[in-house]
Amino acid sequence: MSEKETTFVPDAGKCVPWEVKLKELGKLPGNEEIVKKNWENLDEFAYNFIWFWVQR
Amino acid sequence: MSNKEQLYQERLNRYMTAMDCGKPDKVPVCFGIGEWAIKYTDYTFQEVFYDSEKANRIVEDMLPDFDVDIFSGGPTLWWPPMFDVMGSKLYKFPGIGLEEDNTFQYNEEEYMKAEDYDDFIANPTEWLVKNFLPRISAEFAEPGSYRATIALIKSSAAFAMFGAAAGAAAQRWAVEYGMVGQFTGFTKAPFDTLGDALRAMKGILTDLRRRPDKVLAACEAIVPHNIYGGIAGPGADTRFPCFAPLHRGAYPFLNPEQWDKFYWPTLKAVIEGLWAKGKRMFFFAEGNWTPYLEKIAELPEKSIVFDIDTTDAKKAREILGGKFCLQGGIPTTLLTYGTPEKVKEHVKRTIDELAGDGGFILAPGGVLMGDAKKENILAAIEAAREYGVY
Repeated sequence: MSEKETTFVPDAGKCVPWEVKLKELGKLPGNEEIVKKNWENLDEFAYNFIWFWVQR
Repeated sequence: MSNKEQLYQERLNRYMTAMDCGKPDKVPVCFGIGEWAIKYTDYTFQEVFYDSEKANRIVEDMLPDFDVDIFSGGPTLWWPPMFDVMGSKLYKFPGIGLEEDNTFQYNEEEYMKAEDYDDFIANPTEWLVKNFLPRISAEFAEPGSYRATIALIKSSAAFAMFGAAAGAAAQRWAVEYGMVGQFTGFTKAPFDTLGDALRAMKGILTDLRRRPDKVLAACEAIVPHNIYGGIAGPGADTRFPCFAPLHRGAYPFLNPEQWDKFYWPTLKAVIEGLWAKGKRMFFFAEGNWTPYLEKIAELPEKSIVFDIDTTDAKKAREILGGKFCLQGGIPTTLLTYGTPEKVKEHVKRTIDELAGDGGFILAPGGVLMGDAKKENILAAIEAAREYGVY
Protein backbone atom coordinates (compact mmCIF):
# COMPACT_ATOMS: atom_id res chain seq x y z
CA MET A 1 0.00 0.00 0.00
CA SER A 2 2.85 2.40 0.78
CA GLU A 3 4.15 2.08 -2.80
CA LYS A 4 0.73 3.10 -4.12
CA GLU A 5 0.70 6.16 -1.91
CA THR A 6 3.91 7.50 -3.42
CA THR A 7 2.90 7.11 -7.06
CA PHE A 8 0.78 10.25 -7.28
CA VAL A 9 0.69 13.81 -6.01
CA PRO A 10 -2.90 14.78 -5.27
CA ASP A 11 -4.14 18.18 -6.38
CA ALA A 12 -5.57 20.62 -3.87
CA GLY A 13 -8.87 19.29 -2.56
CA LYS A 14 -7.95 15.65 -3.11
CA CYS A 15 -6.21 12.90 -1.15
CA VAL A 16 -6.66 9.84 -3.36
CA PRO A 17 -7.93 10.99 -6.77
CA TRP A 18 -10.79 9.01 -8.26
CA GLU A 19 -8.68 8.30 -11.35
CA VAL A 20 -6.15 6.46 -9.18
CA LYS A 21 -8.85 4.43 -7.46
CA LEU A 22 -10.64 3.61 -10.70
CA LYS A 23 -7.50 2.06 -12.14
CA GLU A 24 -7.35 -0.21 -9.11
CA LEU A 25 -11.02 -1.12 -9.32
CA GLY A 26 -11.09 -1.74 -13.06
CA LYS A 27 -14.31 -1.49 -15.04
CA LEU A 28 -17.37 -1.10 -12.83
CA PRO A 29 -20.50 -3.10 -13.63
CA GLY A 30 -22.80 -0.29 -12.47
CA ASN A 31 -23.00 3.49 -12.73
CA GLU A 32 -19.50 4.85 -12.27
CA GLU A 33 -20.68 8.42 -11.68
CA ILE A 34 -22.56 7.46 -8.49
CA VAL A 35 -19.47 5.82 -7.04
CA LYS A 36 -17.20 8.62 -8.21
CA LYS A 37 -19.35 11.41 -6.75
CA ASN A 38 -19.44 9.86 -3.29
CA TRP A 39 -15.76 8.92 -3.39
CA GLU A 40 -14.85 12.51 -4.20
CA ASN A 41 -17.15 13.98 -1.52
CA LEU A 42 -15.54 11.88 1.19
CA ASP A 43 -12.08 12.43 -0.27
CA GLU A 44 -12.65 16.18 0.01
CA PHE A 45 -13.78 15.73 3.60
CA ALA A 46 -10.52 13.91 4.37
CA TYR A 47 -8.56 16.66 2.63
CA ASN A 48 -10.27 19.38 4.67
CA PHE A 49 -9.65 17.42 7.87
CA ILE A 50 -5.93 17.09 7.12
CA TRP A 51 -5.42 20.75 6.19
CA PHE A 52 -7.52 21.95 9.12
CA TRP A 53 -4.64 21.06 11.44
CA VAL A 54 -2.11 23.23 9.67
CA GLN A 55 -4.35 26.21 8.93
CA ARG A 56 -4.57 27.43 12.49
CA MET B 1 -41.96 37.32 3.91
CA SER B 2 -41.66 37.23 7.72
CA ASN B 3 -40.21 40.10 9.72
CA LYS B 4 -37.03 38.11 10.30
CA GLU B 5 -36.68 37.30 6.60
CA GLN B 6 -37.12 40.96 5.77
CA LEU B 7 -34.58 41.93 8.42
CA TYR B 8 -32.14 39.37 7.00
CA GLN B 9 -32.59 40.78 3.49
CA GLU B 10 -32.07 44.36 4.68
CA ARG B 11 -28.89 43.45 6.48
CA LEU B 12 -27.65 41.29 3.62
CA ASN B 13 -28.25 44.12 1.12
CA ARG B 14 -26.34 46.51 3.38
CA TYR B 15 -23.41 44.08 3.55
CA MET B 16 -23.36 43.28 -0.17
CA THR B 17 -23.65 46.94 -1.16
CA ALA B 18 -20.76 47.96 1.08
CA MET B 19 -18.56 45.11 -0.18
CA ASP B 20 -19.15 46.35 -3.72
CA CYS B 21 -18.03 49.83 -2.56
CA GLY B 22 -21.56 51.16 -2.76
CA LYS B 23 -23.52 53.32 -0.33
CA PRO B 24 -26.27 51.45 1.55
CA ASP B 25 -29.00 53.13 3.62
CA LYS B 26 -26.88 52.77 6.78
CA VAL B 27 -23.26 52.06 7.62
CA PRO B 28 -23.21 48.28 8.11
CA VAL B 29 -22.13 47.19 11.56
CA CYS B 30 -20.21 43.97 12.24
CA PHE B 31 -19.64 42.43 15.66
CA GLY B 32 -19.52 38.97 17.16
CA ILE B 33 -20.46 37.66 20.58
CA GLY B 34 -16.99 36.49 21.47
CA GLU B 35 -15.14 35.35 24.55
CA TRP B 36 -15.95 38.63 26.25
CA ALA B 37 -19.56 37.46 26.68
CA ILE B 38 -18.59 34.46 28.82
CA LYS B 39 -17.80 36.52 31.89
CA TYR B 40 -21.38 37.86 31.91
CA THR B 41 -22.71 34.31 32.45
CA ASP B 42 -22.34 31.68 35.18
CA TYR B 43 -20.39 29.41 32.84
CA THR B 44 -16.67 28.78 33.01
CA PHE B 45 -14.57 29.08 29.85
CA GLN B 46 -14.13 25.33 29.96
CA GLU B 47 -17.88 24.70 29.98
CA VAL B 48 -18.40 27.01 27.00
CA PHE B 49 -15.47 25.66 25.00
CA TYR B 50 -16.51 22.04 25.52
CA ASP B 51 -20.30 22.38 25.28
CA SER B 52 -21.44 24.05 22.06
CA GLU B 53 -25.02 24.18 23.39
CA LYS B 54 -23.84 26.47 26.18
CA ALA B 55 -21.88 28.58 23.69
CA ASN B 56 -24.96 28.86 21.47
CA ARG B 57 -27.15 29.73 24.46
CA ILE B 58 -24.91 32.71 25.22
CA VAL B 59 -25.29 33.91 21.64
CA GLU B 60 -29.04 33.37 21.53
CA ASP B 61 -29.60 35.13 24.86
CA MET B 62 -27.93 38.25 23.44
CA LEU B 63 -28.94 38.24 19.78
CA PRO B 64 -32.44 39.73 20.21
CA ASP B 65 -30.86 43.00 21.45
CA PHE B 66 -27.73 42.80 19.32
CA ASP B 67 -28.56 45.17 16.45
CA VAL B 68 -25.74 44.42 14.02
CA ASP B 69 -25.92 43.70 10.30
CA ILE B 70 -23.10 41.20 10.08
CA PHE B 71 -22.37 38.61 12.74
CA SER B 72 -18.76 37.51 13.09
CA GLY B 73 -19.38 34.51 15.32
CA GLY B 74 -19.79 33.08 18.81
CA PRO B 75 -17.48 32.68 21.80
CA THR B 76 -15.41 29.70 20.64
CA LEU B 77 -13.26 29.05 17.60
CA TRP B 78 -12.63 25.36 18.21
CA TRP B 79 -14.13 22.35 19.93
CA PRO B 80 -11.39 20.97 22.22
CA PRO B 81 -12.62 17.34 22.19
CA MET B 82 -11.51 17.10 18.55
CA PHE B 83 -8.00 17.98 19.73
CA ASP B 84 -8.13 15.92 22.94
CA VAL B 85 -8.83 12.64 21.15
CA MET B 86 -5.74 13.16 18.97
CA GLY B 87 -3.61 14.08 21.98
CA SER B 88 -2.97 17.32 20.10
CA LYS B 89 0.05 19.35 21.15
CA LEU B 90 -1.06 22.43 19.22
CA TYR B 91 -3.16 24.06 21.94
CA LYS B 92 -3.78 24.22 25.63
CA PHE B 93 -7.46 24.64 26.36
CA PRO B 94 -9.32 25.77 29.48
CA GLY B 95 -9.57 22.88 31.92
CA ILE B 96 -6.89 20.78 30.19
CA GLY B 97 -3.47 22.35 30.35
CA LEU B 98 -4.92 25.63 31.64
CA GLU B 99 -7.18 26.73 34.46
CA GLU B 100 -10.89 26.43 33.67
CA ASP B 101 -11.42 30.18 33.26
CA ASN B 102 -8.55 30.87 30.86
CA THR B 103 -8.79 31.19 27.12
CA PHE B 104 -6.86 28.81 24.84
CA GLN B 105 -3.14 29.07 24.21
CA TYR B 106 -1.16 28.01 21.14
CA ASN B 107 2.03 25.98 21.62
CA GLU B 108 4.32 27.21 18.90
CA GLU B 109 6.98 24.66 17.90
CA GLU B 110 8.93 23.74 14.77
CA TYR B 111 6.63 20.86 13.88
CA MET B 112 8.25 20.87 10.42
CA LYS B 113 12.06 20.64 10.44
CA ALA B 114 14.39 22.46 8.07
CA GLU B 115 15.32 19.15 6.42
CA ASP B 116 11.63 18.47 5.61
CA TYR B 117 11.30 21.19 2.99
CA ASP B 118 11.92 19.03 -0.08
CA ASP B 119 9.44 16.34 0.92
CA PHE B 120 6.81 18.91 1.86
CA ILE B 121 7.23 20.77 -1.44
CA ALA B 122 7.03 17.53 -3.45
CA ASN B 123 3.73 16.39 -1.95
CA PRO B 124 2.27 18.67 0.75
CA THR B 125 -0.86 16.67 1.60
CA GLU B 126 1.00 13.38 1.92
CA TRP B 127 3.72 15.05 4.00
CA LEU B 128 1.12 16.43 6.40
CA VAL B 129 -0.44 12.98 6.87
CA LYS B 130 2.81 11.09 7.31
CA ASN B 131 4.83 13.63 9.27
CA PHE B 132 2.91 16.61 10.62
CA LEU B 133 -0.11 14.80 12.11
CA PRO B 134 2.04 12.24 13.99
CA ARG B 135 4.28 15.00 15.35
CA ILE B 136 1.47 17.17 16.65
CA SER B 137 -0.64 14.29 18.02
CA ALA B 138 0.41 12.07 20.93
CA GLU B 139 -2.39 9.61 20.18
CA PHE B 140 -1.48 9.51 16.47
CA ALA B 141 2.27 9.28 17.00
CA GLU B 142 2.43 5.77 15.51
CA PRO B 143 0.14 5.67 12.44
CA GLY B 144 -1.31 2.22 11.92
CA SER B 145 -1.27 1.39 15.63
CA TYR B 146 -4.47 0.67 17.56
CA ARG B 147 -4.36 3.97 19.44
CA ALA B 148 -3.63 6.00 16.30
CA THR B 149 -6.44 4.38 14.30
CA ILE B 150 -8.96 4.96 17.07
CA ALA B 151 -7.78 8.56 17.48
CA LEU B 152 -8.20 9.27 13.78
CA ILE B 153 -11.72 7.81 13.74
CA LYS B 154 -12.74 9.89 16.76
CA SER B 155 -11.21 13.13 15.58
CA SER B 156 -12.57 12.98 12.03
CA ALA B 157 -16.00 12.24 13.50
CA ALA B 158 -15.61 15.26 15.80
CA PHE B 159 -14.61 17.42 12.81
CA ALA B 160 -17.82 16.45 11.02
CA MET B 161 -19.95 16.88 14.16
CA PHE B 162 -18.58 20.33 14.95
CA GLY B 163 -18.93 21.50 11.36
CA ALA B 164 -22.53 20.30 11.18
CA ALA B 165 -23.39 21.92 14.53
CA ALA B 166 -21.81 25.23 13.52
CA GLY B 167 -23.67 25.22 10.20
CA ALA B 168 -26.97 24.45 11.91
CA ALA B 169 -26.45 27.25 14.44
CA ALA B 170 -25.65 29.80 11.72
CA GLN B 171 -28.77 28.75 9.82
CA ARG B 172 -30.90 29.10 12.98
CA TRP B 173 -29.51 32.56 13.72
CA ALA B 174 -30.33 33.62 10.17
CA VAL B 175 -33.91 32.33 10.33
CA GLU B 176 -34.82 33.22 13.92
CA TYR B 177 -32.86 36.46 14.34
CA GLY B 178 -32.32 37.68 10.78
CA MET B 179 -28.57 37.54 11.36
CA VAL B 180 -26.17 37.54 8.41
CA GLY B 181 -22.92 35.60 8.82
CA GLN B 182 -19.71 37.43 7.99
CA PHE B 183 -17.87 34.85 5.89
CA THR B 184 -17.77 31.37 4.44
CA GLY B 185 -14.51 29.53 3.86
CA PHE B 186 -11.10 29.94 5.43
CA THR B 187 -7.67 30.58 4.03
CA LYS B 188 -4.33 32.19 4.84
CA ALA B 189 -1.29 33.71 3.24
CA PRO B 190 0.99 30.82 2.18
CA PHE B 191 3.83 32.38 4.18
CA ASP B 192 1.61 32.25 7.28
CA THR B 193 0.65 28.63 6.65
CA LEU B 194 4.37 27.86 6.56
CA GLY B 195 5.42 30.25 9.31
CA ASP B 196 2.64 29.69 11.84
CA ALA B 197 2.06 25.99 12.38
CA LEU B 198 4.88 24.38 10.39
CA ARG B 199 8.19 26.23 10.86
CA ALA B 200 7.13 28.62 13.67
CA MET B 201 8.53 32.13 14.16
CA LYS B 202 12.14 31.22 14.94
CA GLY B 203 12.30 28.63 12.17
CA ILE B 204 10.83 30.77 9.41
CA LEU B 205 12.95 33.81 10.26
CA THR B 206 16.08 31.65 10.21
CA ASP B 207 15.01 30.13 6.89
CA LEU B 208 14.77 33.57 5.27
CA ARG B 209 18.56 33.80 5.53
CA ARG B 210 19.68 30.17 5.37
CA ARG B 211 17.32 28.64 2.81
CA PRO B 212 15.35 31.42 1.09
CA ASP B 213 14.75 29.38 -2.07
CA LYS B 214 13.11 26.64 -0.04
CA VAL B 215 10.80 29.17 1.62
CA LEU B 216 9.76 30.52 -1.77
CA ALA B 217 9.21 27.05 -3.21
CA ALA B 218 7.18 25.95 -0.18
CA CYS B 219 4.97 29.05 -0.40
CA GLU B 220 4.40 28.34 -4.10
CA ALA B 221 3.43 24.75 -3.25
CA ILE B 222 0.87 26.01 -0.73
CA VAL B 223 -0.85 28.47 -3.11
CA PRO B 224 -3.33 26.02 -4.75
CA HIS B 225 -4.24 24.59 -1.34
CA ASN B 226 -4.99 28.02 0.06
CA ILE B 227 -7.10 28.92 -2.96
CA TYR B 228 -8.99 25.69 -2.45
CA GLY B 229 -9.44 26.33 1.27
CA GLY B 230 -11.22 29.61 0.61
CA ILE B 231 -13.90 27.98 -1.51
CA ALA B 232 -14.10 24.47 -0.03
CA GLY B 233 -17.39 23.28 1.45
CA PRO B 234 -19.56 26.15 2.69
CA GLY B 235 -16.98 28.53 1.20
CA ALA B 236 -18.50 27.80 -2.18
CA ASP B 237 -21.11 30.50 -1.44
CA THR B 238 -19.35 33.31 -3.28
CA ARG B 239 -21.64 36.03 -1.94
CA PHE B 240 -19.59 36.05 1.25
CA PRO B 241 -15.84 36.58 1.62
CA CYS B 242 -13.59 33.87 3.01
CA PHE B 243 -11.81 34.62 6.24
CA ALA B 244 -8.04 35.12 6.04
CA PRO B 245 -6.28 35.89 9.34
CA LEU B 246 -2.98 37.44 8.25
CA HIS B 247 -0.16 37.25 10.75
CA ARG B 248 3.51 37.65 9.77
CA GLY B 249 2.68 40.18 7.06
CA ALA B 250 2.03 42.93 9.60
CA TYR B 251 4.77 45.55 9.88
CA PRO B 252 7.44 45.04 11.17
CA PHE B 253 7.52 41.23 11.48
CA LEU B 254 9.32 41.34 8.11
CA ASN B 255 11.22 44.25 6.67
CA PRO B 256 9.67 45.69 3.47
CA GLU B 257 12.21 43.95 1.23
CA GLN B 258 11.41 40.57 2.82
CA TRP B 259 7.69 41.32 2.61
CA ASP B 260 7.98 42.05 -1.12
CA LYS B 261 9.94 38.90 -1.77
CA PHE B 262 8.53 36.30 0.60
CA TYR B 263 5.08 37.36 1.81
CA TRP B 264 3.27 39.28 -0.86
CA PRO B 265 3.67 37.37 -4.17
CA THR B 266 1.98 34.19 -3.00
CA LEU B 267 -0.69 35.97 -0.93
CA LYS B 268 -1.47 38.00 -4.05
CA ALA B 269 -1.64 34.76 -6.06
CA VAL B 270 -4.15 33.31 -3.58
CA ILE B 271 -6.31 36.44 -3.72
CA GLU B 272 -6.22 36.54 -7.52
CA GLY B 273 -6.94 32.80 -7.69
CA LEU B 274 -9.95 33.18 -5.43
CA TRP B 275 -11.20 36.24 -7.29
CA ALA B 276 -10.99 34.34 -10.59
CA LYS B 277 -13.53 31.97 -9.04
CA GLY B 278 -15.70 34.87 -7.85
CA LYS B 279 -14.59 34.60 -4.23
CA ARG B 280 -13.58 37.65 -2.22
CA MET B 281 -11.18 37.56 0.73
CA PHE B 282 -11.73 39.23 4.10
CA PHE B 283 -8.17 40.55 4.40
CA PHE B 284 -7.91 40.44 8.19
CA ALA B 285 -4.89 42.72 8.47
CA GLU B 286 -4.24 42.45 12.19
CA GLY B 287 -1.64 44.96 13.32
CA ASN B 288 -0.14 47.66 11.13
CA TRP B 289 -0.08 47.29 7.33
CA THR B 290 0.43 50.98 6.47
CA PRO B 291 3.77 50.51 4.59
CA TYR B 292 2.13 48.02 2.24
CA LEU B 293 -1.04 49.86 1.23
CA GLU B 294 0.29 50.85 -2.21
CA LYS B 295 1.07 47.22 -3.02
CA ILE B 296 -2.31 46.05 -1.77
CA ALA B 297 -3.94 48.64 -4.03
CA GLU B 298 -2.62 46.68 -7.02
CA LEU B 299 -5.11 43.87 -6.36
CA PRO B 300 -8.18 43.51 -8.59
CA GLU B 301 -10.89 45.94 -7.55
CA LYS B 302 -13.30 44.61 -4.91
CA SER B 303 -11.33 41.36 -4.53
CA ILE B 304 -10.81 41.96 -0.81
CA VAL B 305 -12.47 43.56 2.19
CA PHE B 306 -9.57 45.30 3.93
CA ASP B 307 -9.62 45.26 7.72
CA ILE B 308 -8.21 48.29 9.53
CA ASP B 309 -6.67 47.36 12.87
CA THR B 310 -3.69 49.60 13.70
CA THR B 311 -3.08 50.52 10.05
CA ASP B 312 -3.29 54.31 9.49
CA ALA B 313 -7.02 54.63 8.76
CA LYS B 314 -6.79 57.89 6.83
CA LYS B 315 -4.07 56.52 4.56
CA ALA B 316 -6.04 53.32 4.09
CA ARG B 317 -9.05 55.33 2.95
CA GLU B 318 -6.92 57.54 0.71
CA ILE B 319 -5.11 54.64 -0.98
CA LEU B 320 -7.65 51.79 -0.89
CA GLY B 321 -10.98 53.61 -0.53
CA GLY B 322 -13.37 53.31 -3.47
CA LYS B 323 -11.42 50.35 -4.79
CA PHE B 324 -12.01 48.01 -1.87
CA CYS B 325 -14.50 47.92 0.96
CA LEU B 326 -12.84 48.96 4.22
CA GLN B 327 -13.81 47.44 7.53
CA GLY B 328 -12.91 48.18 11.15
CA GLY B 329 -12.19 51.53 12.73
CA ILE B 330 -12.79 50.65 16.39
CA PRO B 331 -9.62 49.79 18.34
CA THR B 332 -10.00 46.67 20.45
CA THR B 333 -8.11 48.41 23.25
CA LEU B 334 -10.82 51.09 23.39
CA LEU B 335 -13.48 48.41 23.82
CA THR B 336 -11.49 46.96 26.72
CA TYR B 337 -10.11 50.02 28.50
CA GLY B 338 -12.45 52.80 27.33
CA THR B 339 -15.82 53.99 28.57
CA PRO B 340 -19.15 54.04 26.73
CA GLU B 341 -18.82 57.81 26.28
CA LYS B 342 -15.33 57.54 24.77
CA VAL B 343 -16.48 54.70 22.53
CA LYS B 344 -19.44 56.71 21.22
CA GLU B 345 -17.20 59.71 20.48
CA HIS B 346 -14.79 57.47 18.61
CA VAL B 347 -17.53 55.77 16.58
CA LYS B 348 -18.92 59.16 15.51
CA ARG B 349 -15.45 60.35 14.47
CA THR B 350 -14.74 57.09 12.62
CA ILE B 351 -17.97 57.30 10.65
CA ASP B 352 -17.25 60.94 9.80
CA GLU B 353 -13.75 60.08 8.58
CA LEU B 354 -14.21 56.70 6.93
CA ALA B 355 -17.82 56.06 5.95
CA GLY B 356 -17.82 58.70 3.20
CA ASP B 357 -19.82 57.59 0.20
CA GLY B 358 -20.02 53.98 1.24
CA GLY B 359 -17.71 51.01 0.94
CA PHE B 360 -17.22 50.91 4.69
CA ILE B 361 -18.24 48.50 7.47
CA LEU B 362 -17.91 49.58 11.08
CA ALA B 363 -16.32 46.88 13.23
CA PRO B 364 -13.61 46.24 15.79
CA GLY B 365 -10.23 46.24 14.06
CA GLY B 366 -8.98 43.03 15.67
CA VAL B 367 -10.17 40.07 17.71
CA LEU B 368 -12.16 40.99 20.80
CA MET B 369 -10.77 38.91 23.63
CA GLY B 370 -12.24 38.01 26.99
CA ASP B 371 -11.44 41.37 28.57
CA ALA B 372 -13.62 43.53 26.27
CA LYS B 373 -16.50 45.21 28.10
CA LYS B 374 -20.09 44.52 27.14
CA GLU B 375 -21.19 48.09 27.87
CA ASN B 376 -18.56 49.41 25.46
CA ILE B 377 -19.61 47.04 22.69
CA LEU B 378 -23.28 47.93 23.11
CA ALA B 379 -22.35 51.63 23.16
CA ALA B 380 -20.47 51.19 19.86
CA ILE B 381 -23.48 49.54 18.22
CA GLU B 382 -25.85 52.20 19.59
CA ALA B 383 -23.62 55.02 18.31
CA ALA B 384 -23.27 53.29 14.94
CA ARG B 385 -27.04 53.32 14.53
CA GLU B 386 -27.31 56.93 15.70
CA TYR B 387 -24.56 58.37 13.48
CA GLY B 388 -24.35 55.76 10.73
CA VAL B 389 -27.31 56.81 8.56
CA TYR B 390 -26.39 57.95 5.04
